[in-house]
Amino acid sequence: MEPLVKIESLIVEYRSKERGQPVKRAVDGLSLDVQAGEVFGFLGPNGAGKTSTMNVLLGFVNATAGNAFLFGVNVREPIARQRIGYLPELTYYYKFLTAEELLRFYGKIFRIPRAEADRRIDAVLKLVELEPSRHRLIKTYSKGMQQRVGLAQALINNPDLLILDEPTSGLDPIGRMKVREIIQRLKNEGKTVFFSSHELGEVETVCDRVAILNQGKLQVAGRVSDLIAQHQMNLEQLFLKIIGYQPATN
Amino acid sequence: MNAVGPLACVVIKELYRRKDFYVLFVLTALISVLMGGMNFFNTQNIARYIKEICLALIWISSLVIAIGTAARQLPAERESRTIFPLLAKPVTRADVIAGKFTGCWLACGLCLVVFYVLFGVLSAARSPELNWLQIAQALVLHWFMLGMLVAMTLLGSVVFAAPSSNGTICLIVTAGMLLLGRHLNKVALQLTEPGQSIVYAVYFVLPHFELFDVRDMVVHSAPLIAAGPFLLALVYAGVYVAVFLLGAWLVFRRQMLN
Amino acid sequence: MNAPRLMLVLLLVGCFTLAARLVPTGLPADGTRRGADSVAALLLGEGRRLFANHLFVKADVYMHSGYYPTIFDHAQLHGGANSTRTQAATGTGQDTDQGFLGPPRDWLDRFGRNFYVTTHSHLGDDEEHCEHCRNKAKSAPAEPGHEHHDGEAASGDVREILPWLRLSAMLDPQNVETYTVAAYWLRSHLKRPEEAEKFLREGWRENPDSYEILFELGRVTSEVRHDDARARNLWELALRKWDQKNRGAVDPDLPLRRLLLGSLARLEERAGNLAKAIGYFELLKSISPAPETVQKQIDELRAKR
Repeated sequence: MEPLVKIESLIVEYRSKERGQPVKRAVDGLSLDVQAGEVFGFLGPNGAGKTSTMNVLLGFVNATAGNAFLFGVNVREPIARQRIGYLPELTYYYKFLTAEELLRFYGKIFRIPRAEADRRIDAVLKLVELEPSRHRLIKTYSKGMQQRVGLAQALINNPDLLILDEPTSGLDPIGRMKVREIIQRLKNEGKTVFFSSHELGEVETVCDRVAILNQGKLQVAGRVSDLIAQHQMNLEQLFLKIIGYQPATN
Repeated sequence: MNAVGPLACVVIKELYRRKDFYVLFVLTALISVLMGGMNFFNTQNIARYIKEICLALIWISSLVIAIGTAARQLPAERESRTIFPLLAKPVTRADVIAGKFTGCWLACGLCLVVFYVLFGVLSAARSPELNWLQIAQALVLHWFMLGMLVAMTLLGSVVFAAPSSNGTICLIVTAGMLLLGRHLNKVALQLTEPGQSIVYAVYFVLPHFELFDVRDMVVHSAPLIAAGPFLLALVYAGVYVAVFLLGAWLVFRRQMLN
Repeated sequence: MNAPRLMLVLLLVGCFTLAARLVPTGLPADGTRRGADSVAALLLGEGRRLFANHLFVKADVYMHSGYYPTIFDHAQLHGGANSTRTQAATGTGQDTDQGFLGPPRDWLDRFGRNFYVTTHSHLGDDEEHCEHCRNKAKSAPAEPGHEHHDGEAASGDVREILPWLRLSAMLDPQNVETYTVAAYWLRSHLKRPEEAEKFLREGWRENPDSYEILFELGRVTSEVRHDDARARNLWELALRKWDQKNRGAVDPDLPLRRLLLGSLARLEERAGNLAKAIGYFELLKSISPAPETVQKQIDELRAKR
C-alpha cells in the first residue's frame, strides 16, 4: 500500500540575507513514510527541522534537494493538497469573520456544494465544541477557541491526512485535553494524522509511530511501544538521550 | 482559480465590517453639507462649488480606502499566519494575489457607488439639470484608476516590509502623479540632457492616474468623453493592472513564508 | 482625596497658573492679537494667504469653466520658447485653437486632452469663445480676477465664482482685490448692489486705507443708487487716499487714478459743475496714455460753458 506521506532524501537549505553568512541546512537527507490510518508524531528540539519539513510538504518552501509526495503526488503540485487539512501553530484567523463564515470561506475554496458545506460546518463545529459560538466574531474567542476553530478549518474538507504543527502549543490543560480528544476521535475515524509536538506525554498517548529529528537529521523512527522496549526507557528519556542533553550536575 | 472569489468576498467583508469607510463617508457627507450650507451673498443655487468640494473629498477618501485596504492585505495574512492554512489548501500564490486584488477593487467600487450617490443627491439638490451619464463616466474612470492603485499597492506590499511605508510611498506617488503627471513632459522639455530623457522616461513609465480624474469636466459640465478615448483609458488601466499584478506575483512566488 | 487625584488636581492648578501668567506675555505690546482673531488665522498663520490666493485663482478658473493655465503652462509660455525642442514640437508659434496648451507634445499628451477641459468658455457663455481672453492667453496667461467686458457672461452662472471669493476674503481679509472683483460681479452681472456694498464695506473695515475699495463703493453708489453726492464724497476720499499711498512711489497705481479722475469728471459734468469737471479732466490728461482724446473732452466742456 502506498504511503500517504513519502519523503525521500529531503534537503532544505536557507540562504542568509546577509552577505558572507553561510547557508543554513535545516533538513539534511530526511527520508520517512507515513502510512494511512496512523497517527505519526514528529519530534525534535527547536530548530531540528520539523517545521521546515512540514513547510515543504505544504508547498510553502521548495526543497533544495530530494522529493516529497502526498498521496503519491509531488508536493509542488497544488492538487496534492486537495485532501489534506493543516493546522498551523498560533494562527489568528480573520477576526472580522464568525467561525461559520470562516469555515464557509474555506469550504468554498474546496468547491464544496452549499448543502454539503452546511452539513460539514455543523459536524466540525460540533466536533470542536464551538457550536454555541458559531455566530460570534472570532476576535471575541479565547486562545483555546481560536485553536479549535483552526482545527475545524483543517477538517472542513473531510481530509484523509491531517498535518498539525504543535496543535496544543500555548493552550491550558483543559484546552490540551480537548485537542488530544479530537485527535483520538479522528484516529478512530480512520484519519491519518501527522503532527509535531514538544509534549512527549501527549505523543506517547496518541501516536502509533514517532520520528525524532535533531539538527535536520532523522535520529530514530518507529512504533512508540517498540522504541520504549528497545531502549528500556520512556519516550522522554529517549528523546533527551537522542538530542544529547546532559543534565547539569551540582 | 477556485480561491479568487472566496478571497475577494473576505476582503469585501473586511471592508464593510471595519469602521474606516463609515468614518470617511460620514466626514465627506458632513463637510459637504456644512460647506454647502454656507451663505454666499444670499445667492441661491450655487452648484459647482459644492460639486467641487464633494468630489475632492470623495477622491481623498477613495485613495485612503484603496491604499489602506490593499496595503494591509498580504502583510496581515503573514502577520496573523492565515497565509499558511490558506496556501495549505489547493490555492496558488497567483490565486492569492488575484483574489486580494479582485476583493480590494470590488470593495473600492462599492464604496465609490455609495460616494457618487451622495454626490448625485447633493448636486441634484442644487441644480436639477444633472448629467447622470457624465457622473457614471467619472465613476467608472475613478474605479479603474483605483484598480491601478490597488494593483500598485499590492506590488508594494510584497516589496516593502512594513505596510505603513508601502502606504506612504503609494500615497506620495499617487498624489504626485495626480498633481504633476500631466506636466512631466513640460518639465522634461525645460531640462537639459540627461535630465530631459530621464524625466521623459518617468513620464512614459509611471501610470497616469490623472487621466482618470475628470472632476473638472463634471464640475464645469464639459461635454461627455467620447467612447473611443474612454474605452482606451480603461484598456490603459487594464494594462497597468496586469503589469503590477504580474510583478507582485513574480516577487511573491519566490518569497519564503516561514 | 487619594494621592493620584491630588496630583491631578495640583497639575491642573499648575497649568492654569502658568497659562494665566504666560498668555499676557505672549500678546504684543499694544495688547491686540492682530491677525489671530479668526479661526483660519489661528490655525494657518501666514499660510492662510497662500490658501486665499489659491481660492482667488480658483474663482478665475471657474470664470473660464476650468480652462486655465497652470504654473507649468506659464513656464512654457515664458521660458519654454527658448527651448529648441519646444519650438520643434510646437512649431513657430502657439496654435490659436489650443490657446496656452499649444499642440500636443506626444501621444500621451494628445490622449490626455480628452480628460480635461480644453475648450475655452466662460460661465454662462458655453458656446461662444471669448476672443479677448484668447488673445490675452496668447500673450500672457489669464490673470487672476481680470475683468471681462459687459455681456460676456450671462449673469446666472457667474454666481459660481462667489463662494471662492468669499472664502478667499475670509482667509486673507487684507487682499483688496478680492472685494473689488466680487463687488464688480455682484453689481454688474448679478444685480445685487446691496450685497456688493455690504461686502465692500466689510473690506473697507479691514483695509481702511484702500482707495480701490472706495472707488468700487463709489461706483455702486453712483451707477446703481444714483446718489452722486455720496459717490463724490467716496471718490474724493479715494483720491486723497491714492495721493497718500502713491506719493513719491516709483511705480504709482496710475490706471486706478485715471479711473477715479474720469469718474469724478463725468460726475461733475452730470451735476453741471463744468469747471470742476474740466479740472479733473486736466489732471487726467497729464497721466493719460491718450491725452488728445481727453483734450477733446475738455474742449467740448469749454464750449458748453
